[in-house]
Amino acid sequence: MKPRARKTAMLAGACASALALCPTLAFASEGEETGGISAILPDMLEFVPMLVAFIILWIILAKFGWPMFAGMLEKRENTIREALKQSEDAKIESERVLAEYKKQLADAKAEAAKVVADARETGEAVRQSIQEKAQADAADMIEKARTTIAAEKKAAMAELQASIADTSVDVAAKLIGNDLTEGEHRAIIERYVKEAGSFNGD
Amino acid sequence: MAINRLVQQGKVKVYADTMFNAANDAGGADEVVAVRNQMAELRHLIYSDMDLSLALKDASYTPEQRYGLAKAVFADCEMALAETLAVMAEQGDTDLLGQVFHGYEDAMMAALKLVVVDVTTVVPLDDGLRELINKKAEAELGCKAVLNESIDPSILGGIIMSVNGMRIDASVLSQLNRARYVLKGTDGGDSQ
Repeated sequence: MKPRARKTAMLAGACASALALCPTLAFASEGEETGGISAILPDMLEFVPMLVAFIILWIILAKFGWPMFAGMLEKRENTIREALKQSEDAKIESERVLAEYKKQLADAKAEAAKVVADARETGEAVRQSIQEKAQADAADMIEKARTTIAAEKKAAMAELQASIADTSVDVAAKLIGNDLTEGEHRAIIERYVKEAGSFNGD
Repeated sequence: MAINRLVQQGKVKVYADTMFNAANDAGGADEVVAVRNQMAELRHLIYSDMDLSLALKDASYTPEQRYGLAKAVFADCEMALAETLAVMAEQGDTDLLGQVFHGYEDAMMAALKLVVVDVTTVVPLDDGLRELINKKAEAELGCKAVLNESIDPSILGGIIMSVNGMRIDASVLSQLNRARYVLKGTDGGDSQ
């Protein structure tokens, strides 16, 4: 028998002894009416059966009751111990999970900060890129406008120049056609014949 | 192709020599020059008149019909020229007239040492100018030159001379056109 069970059995025995003494007191109170020492002594005729009954009860209990009771206690003890162990494990697990959550939270915060920083950096780069592109487009448009203006100016100048040339030549042609006499025409012919190139292309 | 070209050259030579010999026999150098000048005018006429040009080589006409048509159209021309053109129309060779013209001029040059200088002016030439032009042509070409004068007011002034496909354009019109070209070609000093 385990120490704990033995201790329990002894406690049960003490209780049984106390119960066995109770009838003696009852008998004693009844005996006081008769007086003398017999008033405190139990009646053997009643005491012995009761003692036998007590011993039988004690044996039965020690044989069947206390082991069952001890088993129940032990089972209960194991259940409590298991519960405590599980509780301890759960606590450890919860602390681990908590630590992990804290770590994940910290990582998430760091990641969020990094994302925000990246986003800010990307936004700044995009803003700068858009600004540079806008400036380049504006410069390009200005350059194209300048080129177009220059081309149109040149075309207008050429047209004006051609118009002036046509007008000048037409006026010269009319003056020559109308104002030259036959003698002047012949003088021109003579000069041109003398100045003209050769038939052989020399 | 080479054979066709040789055949064509042969035809051209036959037409040119035949016409030259006929003209020379008929009237000497003066007739030769007259035929040459008429042929120059007819050449431009035929090239500019599409209906006449097509009719003279129309295959739907018989050779005799083309011959008759040419004889009728060129009846007022010198006989040597009219006959030759009629034969050319009969044979469908009027497209060769330009080459025949040059062949005729070559024949003139070879046989008579004679060239015709086509001169275009605004006013008629005087004797001094004729002598000046003749001397210039004879000095440069090494043969006798005869002037074929024409008046064209559209050249405004100056003179245009051409001989044997060579041309000297000393007209006021061409001078003005050159001036016009130069004036239009310059950019007014705007370019770098």
